[in-house]
Amino acid sequence: MSVGGELLSGAEILCRVLREEGVDTIWGYPGGAIMPFYHALPDVPEIRHILVRHEQAAAHAADGYARATGRFGVCVATSGPGATNFVTGLATAHMDSSPVVAITGQVPRPMMGRDAFQETDVLGITLPITKHNCLIGDVSELAERVREAIAIATAGRPGPVLIDVPKDVQNQKTEYRPASGARFSLTPGTQHLTPLDERVQEAAGLIAAAQRPLIMVGHGVILAEAYEEVRRLAERTGIPVITTLLGISAFPESHPLHLGMPGMHGEVHVNRAIQHADVIVGIGLRFDDRVTGNTKGFAPRAKIVHVDLDRSEVGKNVPVELALVGDAREITARLAAAVAPRGCDAWREEIQGWARHREECYRGDLSPENIVAAIHDTTPDRCTIVTDVGQHQMWVAKLYPYRRPNTHITSGGLGTMGFAVPAAMGVKLARPEEEVWAISGDGGFQMNMQEIATMVQERIPVKMAVFNNGYLGMVRQWQQFFHGGRYSATPIWSPDYVKLADAYGIPGWRVERADELESVLARASAEPGPVLVEFVIEQEANVFPMIPPGATLSEPIEAEPAAAVGD
Amino acid sequence: MAHALSLLLDHELLALNRAVGELRRRHVPIESIAVGPGDVPGQARLTVILNTDDATAEMTMRKLHKLSGVRGARRFPVDDGVTCELALVKVRVPHERHAELLDVCDMFKATVVDELPEQAIVQLAGTGSFVLAFVRALERFGILEMARSGSVALPRVAPAQ
Repeated sequence: MSVGGELLSGAEILCRVLREEGVDTIWGYPGGAIMPFYHALPDVPEIRHILVRHEQAAAHAADGYARATGRFGVCVATSGPGATNFVTGLATAHMDSSPVVAITGQVPRPMMGRDAFQETDVLGITLPITKHNCLIGDVSELAERVREAIAIATAGRPGPVLIDVPKDVQNQKTEYRPASGARFSLTPGTQHLTPLDERVQEAAGLIAAAQRPLIMVGHGVILAEAYEEVRRLAERTGIPVITTLLGISAFPESHPLHLGMPGMHGEVHVNRAIQHADVIVGIGLRFDDRVTGNTKGFAPRAKIVHVDLDRSEVGKNVPVELALVGDAREITARLAAAVAPRGCDAWREEIQGWARHREECYRGDLSPENIVAAIHDTTPDRCTIVTDVGQHQMWVAKLYPYRRPNTHITSGGLGTMGFAVPAAMGVKLARPEEEVWAISGDGGFQMNMQEIATMVQERIPVKMAVFNNGYLGMVRQWQQFFHGGRYSATPIWSPDYVKLADAYGIPGWRVERADELESVLARASAEPGPVLVEFVIEQEANVFPMIPPGATLSEPIEAEPAAAVGD
Repeated sequence: MAHALSLLLDHELLALNRAVGELRRRHVPIESIAVGPGDVPGQARLTVILNTDDATAEMTMRKLHKLSGVRGARRFPVDDGVTCELALVKVRVPHERHAELLDVCDMFKATVVDELPEQAIVQLAGTGSFVLAFVRALERFGILEMARSGSVALPRVAPAQ
């Protein structure tokens, strides 16, 4: 490359920068304002473009890819409707701290602000749901702005960014110089009033003095890959470990110190442990309301030590005794080194005394328990599970015995139905050697089932499972518990999923009895391409226990309510 | 309790939009917002007066500080700093009451910056409550219109580094 740089168009520069930043896969959908980019893309054969069937799916797939790889995922769309279809995907990534880089075409600069065809103020629309967004005003700034956006997406607490590129900027030419090598340094230094070492010592002191300590780990442990450090801390102290929904798989479920998931659908003994704890070490979680229940009654006896990279999370939802702001891996390692070895046998025994046999709430033969067990038995320990949102999500979270880190991927914060199928495509491309299951309910599956076509065209062999109960099950459960059983707009019809699979040219099965599970799942697992398995489950099965909205963790519903309770 | 948040932003409407959007989204009770040039070229200073408790003010500052385009953020209780707001007030003032207007202005250290037959524009700088007192004092003349800048603020002590 000459010293002066090559004369390239904005579109070519965009492709070059993506390649230089290590991008190998992008998810997208072409259209008017992004056509120069699509014209340039075939000249960079190292980047594989996956044509989705809806831009929302491109954003979820990029999100799934990012969560599975720990790098950033890229999605591309045109202006206007293409860009607005990104919104749900970006909001999902924003809530769950996932580095999605969205690139949108925009109408040419002279037409901007005149309500041109397919013009939308996507910058304005995505402001509150992105970590950063920008409009490229001139081709001369394009490369730097894209590098900067990628750096922002991945630095510190990750998050989505959106880069809006007017069509005429994509066509504009300038001399291009590859990155100088100097990376953007973006993580602001964190300031503590007292030095971190002192705080770590203080935390170790709190742990040493505690009678009933707990460790709660969230998504931050997965993002920081602090698995070994958390394990060391737990094993040195004997402190039981609770994993939040997005923390699941950060600590092996088979480990004797693993307790389970807390919160709205957490097991009774897990929540009870929280309510009795005197010290809680929270690592990489934000004490979301689904975890805490009513914060006024959350862990009333506990001093909370909060380890988080984002200092603006400290004390946001619950009062914190001691904050350790920084990378979860580094701080947990220091904490594990600072704590005095101890045990918590009496406390663990006390908690186990509260554990009760899981209430079998299920009348039919094909229970969520045996479906999840059968999926696990078919693909033990070489499988990543991607779930959607609702009852099946809770069943899988509670029942699948995750052993390997980061093998459970779901939409936690935003609770986006329709997430699983497209996100699983991203996970599958990131982990071609693994079996990837997209588990949905019949509601969420129908939100993005058009992506089966993408899987077929692009040969992405995702295993799809649909828990079909003919209802929007979680909403129906709330209606049963809190709305007097008025099933308003929750019964949902499904097409014949076996025929649907057939129409897309993929194998499909309907499982109605438990004795069919093993053979169907074995065949589904053996198939080289995408498959669809429908599980016809009990229509009115519920997820137990459940903390009613607004209640504290001490007030679980453990069985079918005799009568409706107030909200 | 009133807290001042003082933010340095990239001098572009997008950064301002992001900061103001965050304030709106967090439902923080805002008393005043003022924007002007920052200490260095290319930056703007956004001053927000919040009427809230210490913890909410701290949380709001952290949430704002981490936004893209926000380069610096600090906060202090209004009582620990100096706040000042500029007001321009256009009053109806018949010729025979002109001396009376000058008396009021003198008392508040305000200045008459424009005069037309039967009306005048007076200018005053001071704390929010001082400005309010001045406005009340002008009401007897008849206020035609007025423009206030919102408060800017500086803490009395330099930030500890």
